[in-house]
Amino acid sequence: MNRLKTNFLGMEFKNPMVTSSGCFGFGMEYKDYFDPNVLGGIVVKGITMEARDGNYGTRIAETPGGMLNCVGLENPGVDYFENVIVKNIKAAGIECPIIVNINGKVIDEYVEIAKRVEKIAEVDMIELNISCPNVKDGGMAFGANPDVAGAVTKAVRAVTTKPLIVKLSPNVTDIVHIAKVVEANGADAVSLINTLLGMAIDIKSKKPVLGNTFGGFSGPAVKPVALRMVYQVSQNVKIPVVGMGGISSTEDAIEFMMAGATMVSLGTGLFSNPILPVEIKDGLERFCEENGLENIQEIVGAAHQK
Amino acid sequence: MFLEDCKILENYQVSENYYLMKIESNKASQHSKAGQFFMLKVKNEIRILRRPISLHFVDKDKNILEFYYEVKGGGTKEFTDLEAGEIMNIQGPLGKGFKTDVLDKKCVVIGGGMGIAPTKLLINDLKKNNEVIFIAGGRDKNAIEILKNLDLEGVKTYITTDDGSAGEKGNVISALCKVLEENKIDMIQTCGPHKMMEAVAKKAQEAEVFCEISLEEKMACGVKACVGCSIKTLDGMKKVCHDGPVFDSKIIVDVNPKENLGCNCN
Ligand SMILES: Cc1cc2nc3c(=O)[nH]c(=O)nc-3n(C[C@H](O)[C@H](O)[C@H](O)COP(=O)(O)OP(=O)(O)OC[C@H]3O[C@@H](n4cnc5c(N)ncnc54)[C@H](O)[C@@H]3O)c2cc1C
Ligand SMILES: Cc1cc2nc3c(=O)[nH]c(=O)nc-3n(C[C@H](O)[C@H](O)[C@H](O)COP(=O)(O)O)c2cc1C
Ligand code: FES
Repeated sequence: MNRLKTNFLGMEFKNPMVTSSGCFGFGMEYKDYFDPNVLGGIVVKGITMEARDGNYGTRIAETPGGMLNCVGLENPGVDYFENVIVKNIKAAGIECPIIVNINGKVIDEYVEIAKRVEKIAEVDMIELNISCPNVKDGGMAFGANPDVAGAVTKAVRAVTTKPLIVKLSPNVTDIVHIAKVVEANGADAVSLINTLLGMAIDIKSKKPVLGNTFGGFSGPAVKPVALRMVYQVSQNVKIPVVGMGGISSTEDAIEFMMAGATMVSLGTGLFSNPILPVEIKDGLERFCEENGLENIQEIVGAAHQK
Repeated sequence: MFLEDCKILENYQVSENYYLMKIESNKASQHSKAGQFFMLKVKNEIRILRRPISLHFVDKDKNILEFYYEVKGGGTKEFTDLEAGEIMNIQGPLGKGFKTDVLDKKCVVIGGGMGIAPTKLLINDLKKNNEVIFIAGGRDKNAIEILKNLDLEGVKTYITTDDGSAGEKGNVISALCKVLEENKIDMIQTCGPHKMMEAVAKKAQEAEVFCEISLEEKMACGVKACVGCSIKTLDGMKKVCHDGPVFDSKIIVDVNPKENLGCNCN
């Protein structure tokens, strides 16, 4: 009996565990350490219409219990993704669902890329990353403004039949409000959290450590914030929640599910422990056995105060 | 690539800030080559990233890996506390190493400071079938004390220090100029401070000699999954952890960080 089997947006996942965009490359980078088919699903690195070089200079900085990154969405573009990467993923025998994280600078660009991804049969779901700066409206992230977040969700919804997950930014005053707005505009699920905006300074050179000055903060240090947001959002929307932010053990994954996440996503935790997914899968199975659960989904939202 | 819990056999101070660690590895040791590196796990979980450290030497008969490291910050400081018998988790070997499948060539190997680390294995492998000239440099005599641990028999060796406390006072570049004047060199391979390698690459280009340099970037994953260690090259964006750390010096370009996108995206 598979006690981890999870139905997510009409698809059967072997377990409720996916990898976070940007932390698992395009699905095959960790194959020497574990079979990617162990995962429930794979969320690949964010892609854009055109190939992007990303930011120059230092992109990574470790901080206590976490890290900053300013990759700047380096990716090979949707053409290369469609013609080479997707083929390689399938040729490598990866069978679990593939979720593509899409990004744009203006709403039209999101729509264009969503239309392209819609036609790629091997892609099972779309994750809309609304943490990107909205170039047309002054550079504030799409996800920071409820109206813009709603508009981009609606526009993408109109051009895809694939399940649509909207990935929320934590860099907002009221994440629950944004979640409700994207739900109202057609999101099938929300994933949270993306990275928190942060920085580090080198006191010897008196300069910011990151080449881009600011970067996304992730890892165990962000877990309490992420957990709180998952807890709040899941109680206020009807669509399922994919929870992430600092998950690095079975216990962390369980906490996120108890906070209300149907699915959990592993990111930065993979870097220190490349076999983390295998450990969490085994851990969740053991948890089900020890607690007499027929299915892990029974714990989703268990921490909500009734 | 392997993930392996390895027993520490020895871990001792070579000089001042420099240490040598020998560990037992049954799997990775059999697949490691000069210029590759490992991601070593730091015990204290507050330091969430592994530390990239070059392979100093491998004894494939005895399954021993050697790492030569300098204490820089908290992670490497913690490495010094590891005692024989303790276990450390290693990930590797990672990346592409130096070219060593050459025959009857005249090779120059240049190591500067910590960059001496990968030269022990490199020289060992090259000298089986080639003539090797070694140029080693460092700040002071502490920085080159490790040379005692290298097998330099049959290798013409030049040693320089910035302060003249050992070898010739000066830097590796003047030694390289001399070597290039006196010999017809086929290949130059170097690891060391960026400025030093830049100067080496320039000399190599002038003399029209094939040159490999070993780069360093901050790394999170070590397996091209995070795209954190990307650099711009004439062949497009390359991952130091996967496409390198050793590169043909001709494809490396210097990028002015001011060209940045100013994009806060991951
Ligand atoms: C491919 C490669 C091979 C290396 N080989 C060796 C070696 O053989 N011996 C040796 O002593 N050092 C080597 N280094 C440098 C070594 O990785 C750093 O000195 C070490 O990570 C510093 O960690 P820390 O915790 O002591 O310092 P901190 O400054 O506290 O480290 C903070 C963070 O920055 C990273 N970092 C700091 N300095 C560097 C650096 N120079 N390169 C990459 N990441 C860095 C750390 O990994 C960590 O994530 C190598 C680096 C690379 C990329
Ligand atoms: C190196 C790196 C790259 C990332 N790239 C993306 C990306 O392309 N798209 C995206 O939506 N999120 C990206 N993220 C955010 C993660 O998917 C995740 O939301 C965040 O890191 C929090 O989870 P964690 O603490 O488990 O890593 C990236 C994170 C990291 C560390
Ligand atoms: S360290 Fe992650 S891509 Fe190189």
